[in-house]
Amino acid sequence: MNTNEAKEKLLLYRDPIDDADPQFREALAYAHRNPELAEWLREQAGCYQAIRSKLRDVEAPRDLAEKIIRNQPIRFRMDWTQILKLAAAIIISAGITAASLELWHRGNHPVLQGQEIVVKGEVLDLTCYVAYNWSGPKHASCAMDCIKSGLPVGIKTEDGKVYLLTGKEAHVNDQLADYAAKVVTVRGKETARDGFAQIQVEEIRKF
Amino acid sequence: MSADPEFENLVELYYRDLYRFGFSLTGSEVDATDLTQETFYIWANKRHQLRNPTSVKGWLFTTLRREFLKICRHRKRVAHEPIDEGAQNLPHVPADVVNRIDAQTLLKFLGEIDEGYRAPLVLYYLEDLSYKQIGEVLAIPLGTVQSRIARAKIKLLELLTEAKPRTAA
Repeated sequence: MNTNEAKEKLLLYRDPIDDADPQFREALAYAHRNPELAEWLREQAGCYQAIRSKLRDVEAPRDLAEKIIRNQPIRFRMDWTQILKLAAAIIISAGITAASLELWHRGNHPVLQGQEIVVKGEVLDLTCYVAYNWSGPKHASCAMDCIKSGLPVGIKTEDGKVYLLTGKEAHVNDQLADYAAKVVTVRGKETARDGFAQIQVEEIRKF
Repeated sequence: MSADPEFENLVELYYRDLYRFGFSLTGSEVDATDLTQETFYIWANKRHQLRNPTSVKGWLFTTLRREFLKICRHRKRVAHEPIDEGAQNLPHVPADVVNRIDAQTLLKFLGEIDEGYRAPLVLYYLEDLSYKQIGEVLAIPLGTVQSRIARAKIKLLELLTEAKPRTAA
């Protein structure tokens, strides 16, 4: 090995990261015997450390970690366990809805009539909202499918109150499916059954 | 209290390293921030697919670099000076020359190096990774890693040498 060959090898050497790497052993031994090469190696190491320090001194914005955590997307694992849980939630929810409708027809649980109200809020797919607390733009596509398929649709107002939206005819889902996770204004009669707030929709204003 | 402590811990552990890597690749705070965020969100969606959870840091670096390459493809390509495949002369750059230039100038020089050479060079300087580990992160063979780093390093040292009179003035 001559000095140039040793330099070519040692160009990549980083002290102490590459100490255990056998490819540098012979060139390092050569540098120990050659003062000129040893001096060159010291300068290389100094230059490496100076560049490394400059790059490592770069500071990430202070609020970056907080921002990343705050904006974390909703976790949605498409594995079979999740899909089965979701299917179970939909079946249970559909069952509850069907049973509620049946009871309503029988008049066992009368609806408490209220006044006409106007509320503004996000259109919710109530099944996923109640079961998993899923809402917002990232859940819009799923919510749209659920509402289209006839699952209960709701509205969450700006103050956090949630209403089940019902209509005299079954057009509420059709009208609201495309507005899943979007903000609409609804006018209708506020009612309640067993403490659960509902709005019998008369008018929907979309933006 | 976080709804996802695993995600929060991972962000706290690695966001600085990823940001530095992204900043060194792009030279832009905005791009480095976006790349760092996107990398963690990809991890959040794909974590259950990771075969080896112990190599998560390497996976994050690989992902960030892949996202960086997507940005490069979408933007107008900058013509980089070609890397001299047969470079023989090793430029002599004393540490004090590097110390005199600011980080922005150093990043500008890194930006002049072709993307394929820049990423291994940045990892060579920034992280305590062996050449084998750098190769795993970038999915390139060991020999290619070493030759790319050597050529990119010579190119960077040449740029620093040329910058010497300007900084001394």
